[in-house]
Amino acid sequence: MTPVQIAIAVLILPLVSAAVIALFLRRAGGLASVVSVLAAVGIAAGALTLTLGADRFVTSMEWLKLGDFSLSLGIKFDDLAALMLAIVGVVGLCVHVFSLGYMHDDGARARYFGGLSIFMFSMLGIVFADNLFMMFIYWELVGFSSWLLINHYMDRPSAAAASKKAFIVNRVGDFGFLLGIVWCYTRFGTTNLDAMAKLVEGGSTLTAAIPLLLFCGAMGKSAQIPLHVWLPDAMEGPTPVSALIHAATMVAAGIYMLCRIHFLMVPDALNVIMWVGTATALYAALCAITQSDIKKVLAYSTLSQLGYMVAAFGLGSLKITHEMGGMTHTMVITAGVGAAMFHLTTHAFFKALLFLGSGSVIHACHHEQDIFRMGGLGKKLPLTFATFTLGVAAIIGVPFLAGFFSKDAILYLAFANNRAVFVILAFTAVLTSFYMVRLWKLVFLGETRSENASHAHEGGLALTAPLALLAVLSVIGGYGWFYSAVLRGGVAKVIELVPEAHGSDHTVILVTSLVVLLLGAGAAFTLYRPASTDALAEKSPGLFGLLGALKVSFDRFYDYYVAKIQQRFAMVLNFIEQIFLAGVIIRGMAGVVGLVGLGMRALHVGNLNAYVYWFLLGVVALWAFATGTLTF
Amino acid sequence: MSLTFDPLLIAIVAPLALALAIALGLPKRWSVRLAYVAFAVPLLMALHVWYHFSDATQLGGYAFLTQYPTGLQALGISLKLGLNGISMPLFVLAGGVGFAAGLYALQSGAERLKLYLMLLLIMIGGLMGVFASVDIFYFYFFHELALIPTFIMVGIWGGRDRSYAAMKMTIYLTVGAMISLLGLIALYVKSGATSFDLIALRHHLAAHPLGETVQNNIFGLLMFGFGILVSLWPLHTWAPLGYGAAPSSAAMLHAGVLKKFGLYGLIQIAMPLLPAGLTHWAHPLAWLAVAGNVLVVGFITIAQRDLKQMIGYSSVMHMGYAFLGLATGSMLGVGGVVLLMVAHGFSVALLFLLATTVHHRTHTFTMDDMGGLAMKAPVLAAFFVAATFASIGLPGFANFWGELTIFVALWKFSPLITVLALAGVVISAIYGLRSAARIFFGQPATHFNEIAAQYPVKDLTWTEKAPALVLLVALLWVGFWPKSLSTAIDTALQPAAQTAARN
Repeated sequence: MTPVQIAIAVLILPLVSAAVIALFLRRAGGLASVVSVLAAVGIAAGALTLTLGADRFVTSMEWLKLGDFSLSLGIKFDDLAALMLAIVGVVGLCVHVFSLGYMHDDGARARYFGGLSIFMFSMLGIVFADNLFMMFIYWELVGFSSWLLINHYMDRPSAAAASKKAFIVNRVGDFGFLLGIVWCYTRFGTTNLDAMAKLVEGGSTLTAAIPLLLFCGAMGKSAQIPLHVWLPDAMEGPTPVSALIHAATMVAAGIYMLCRIHFLMVPDALNVIMWVGTATALYAALCAITQSDIKKVLAYSTLSQLGYMVAAFGLGSLKITHEMGGMTHTMVITAGVGAAMFHLTTHAFFKALLFLGSGSVIHACHHEQDIFRMGGLGKKLPLTFATFTLGVAAIIGVPFLAGFFSKDAILYLAFANNRAVFVILAFTAVLTSFYMVRLWKLVFLGETRSENASHAHEGGLALTAPLALLAVLSVIGGYGWFYSAVLRGGVAKVIELVPEAHGSDHTVILVTSLVVLLLGAGAAFTLYRPASTDALAEKSPGLFGLLGALKVSFDRFYDYYVAKIQQRFAMVLNFIEQIFLAGVIIRGMAGVVGLVGLGMRALHVGNLNAYVYWFLLGVVALWAFATGTLTF
Repeated sequence: MSLTFDPLLIAIVAPLALALAIALGLPKRWSVRLAYVAFAVPLLMALHVWYHFSDATQLGGYAFLTQYPTGLQALGISLKLGLNGISMPLFVLAGGVGFAAGLYALQSGAERLKLYLMLLLIMIGGLMGVFASVDIFYFYFFHELALIPTFIMVGIWGGRDRSYAAMKMTIYLTVGAMISLLGLIALYVKSGATSFDLIALRHHLAAHPLGETVQNNIFGLLMFGFGILVSLWPLHTWAPLGYGAAPSSAAMLHAGVLKKFGLYGLIQIAMPLLPAGLTHWAHPLAWLAVAGNVLVVGFITIAQRDLKQMIGYSSVMHMGYAFLGLATGSMLGVGGVVLLMVAHGFSVALLFLLATTVHHRTHTFTMDDMGGLAMKAPVLAAFFVAATFASIGLPGFANFWGELTIFVALWKFSPLITVLALAGVVISAIYGLRSAARIFFGQPATHFNEIAAQYPVKDLTWTEKAPALVLLVALLWVGFWPKSLSTAIDTALQPAAQTAARN
């Protein structure tokens, strides 16, 4: 098979799997899960073949043509796509295998695995997309698969509400995204990524509005403030789904999309993006501190890390100097892309690991999710404990683990480009190690605090093998040799953009990240004791309450908007529609006379002639009105 | 292919012939059996012409042209049948929805089934005729033929408020039809042509265009006349009321197909013959559509509690997009309207069908009284969710292509209107997902619990599934492979085909 054929096969495979499951295997959950997992194996194999192979290509096919508008579906396979493809393939496979164990007793397994396959199809479409219209198509489709999977336990009203919220909030982001795409199309005459990049290189002027509108799409998918509200709620879905969609891949699609269109960026737009990302990183980290649900802590942590990536992208380019043989070269690299994608990669590994680890915990505790009702699980779930600990160490930036390198890259970029952002991100890192160590200690150390937790035992190989693989990746995913040797340099063009600190900067960053780590982790370790109540709430109820209020403030605002403004507005319009419009204007727009003279009753006698008469008058009046306002 | 094989005529005549036979006293057993055939024949013919459209010989942009004298030649009228790239997709739509509505009616066990089938057959025959007619007189005649059974069906088999709904629908639609007839006659008289033949008229008017004022006035008549038929705001109030009361097959056929008559008339007749009129009216039309149909009606849709009313209003809202595409006057926009007409036809028909199947299980249309139906009827839930996502424009379903192309075209027409129109995308997601959640997810409401205890809920039966499947397959087919329709539309909209239709 040629690389192009492999790529197409990788894209089509999950669609076929989903179709087969939907049509034939609805009642055969076991077979459905096998089909879906086999598809995931095929995708992972194809993805690694493509990534490790040397071929990078572009291909496309026209899909719709009307007048001078042509929309094509195509594949742009460069190093960036290769990196994303490898992540989706590998994490996807881990989650599929994990689901075999986790969802084994679920009554709707077929729907679940069909949904996973649809998701893989949609996500791969985003990875491959060579133009913005195609990206939008798959963008909407991942939104749909996310809706489907969040709504998996659909008898729970909370799941139904969460899935609805996720889709609608994403649609709000897509409103801007589509506007941006359409504007782009009108501006450049194409939305093909390569063609647009050429036009920009050729000196086409840029405005901040287009990239910012496109960024709206990323704000929805990657859950940036103020469109972040759907992600914590999305934890209603099964835990493997949270790992795959709401931590490792789909929510990272926003960052991937930004990297795809980085050539459209102008400083003003980057500035906005940077601050949105920074605000999200800080806000979400503050919210994570008060959470008691193991998945919610991880959800806010994901939000925070996504903020990190967005901020990294917004930090933009970096001037670097090379000294070679006495000659000094200065070059500008799009370091934002490098740092964001690097962190996206390591985050995909360790956050998928953490979510699957939490899945293993939840599975073992019979779906207990409250960390204050766990405790002491380290002894009962040794492998989960070991891998989860590695995941925690990676996210809080313990040296020599993946997160350490990628977070330092971002901190260095911030240090070089914007000190305020640097300070905020460093403080966020303190919070990160604080809430992660809190979580880790409450779940795994001390004595068990509930009936369910005391019976916990490790799940089967399907649950543990993915954890082991992801743990390994969380360790080695930060090293340059991982990309050059293991991935055979297949993603070199992305990795070479990762900013690296040298000299005194290096020391500053290293010291900062170590201080930050020790501060947060130390504080959490001393503050929290294995107990069934939150130590922070007892020692400092004011602060705890404030953080809680911070968390609900957005939800309160949106709930107020939906219930009190949007719904009332709709009701009022409906009222006018029913009474005023149906009753007065059309039955007699000229018939205000009717109100005065004949009275309303005359209008309701049901006399057909009268209705026709009033109606005609109304139409004539309307027409006269419309034409009268215009020169005729 | 022999000369006597005219798929268009067969598609029109087959249902009408059976309707006549039923009227003449065909026994019920045979009526029902033959009805399967009469419902299937138009669809088969439609698929036949769809498949052979690209390689059929074309004359003046029309394929499958035939002409039958009907004794009105002196007035320049004859039954001239043919399809161009705009009417072919709609012919397919009529065949598909007709078949689905027919199948659904056959299993519905309606009272006075023979009469019900007869009216439905007349409606389908009329619909096939509307889109196959090249002669404007017959185009209009077939519309009336299909319209009258609608009123009767609402009046006899309708639900709540059926007599008021039937009367209101009759008045609005008759008046709309009359105004558009006035426009058509004015067009005929003013053009000085001697024929109602659309090809000849195009020919004639390309050579002798009408004056601007005349164009503006006639276009205005057609726009409001046809506009009423397509539920242009604020002349739309018949639609939710009528559809709320109509029996499902009638609602499927009217909302799905017959309603498109107005848009079809505007695209096929008003646009190419009165280009200056369109330019003149474009902005008022676009503002009525975006502010009225999309935004106001969109919000009104959010406020609906009754499932059928909600579908009715959502359909009014989506017609706003069609008007917007039309207002752009560009090939892309108008092509998008044709795609959207087909897509909306299939999706709204599917929604009306499913609304009735939901009613059979919950004994109510009030969404708050339902809940949790997906646990008891997962296949029904899957169909409904698919139809909902189709109608809110999810890629993979036909509707997406129509909306997307209209939005792209609209930006060039007016960025501001595009922004407002796109807000509708969020609005439709709100009401679509909300209704799906209220009906199918969460816990059942008390009312539904009581009903379910009395009448155990069954999932979709095969007789219900079959017509739904026809519609869903059509939506997915066009959704995955839009070129299967867009190539024909594109050819028909090329400037050459629009103005000078020489052979």
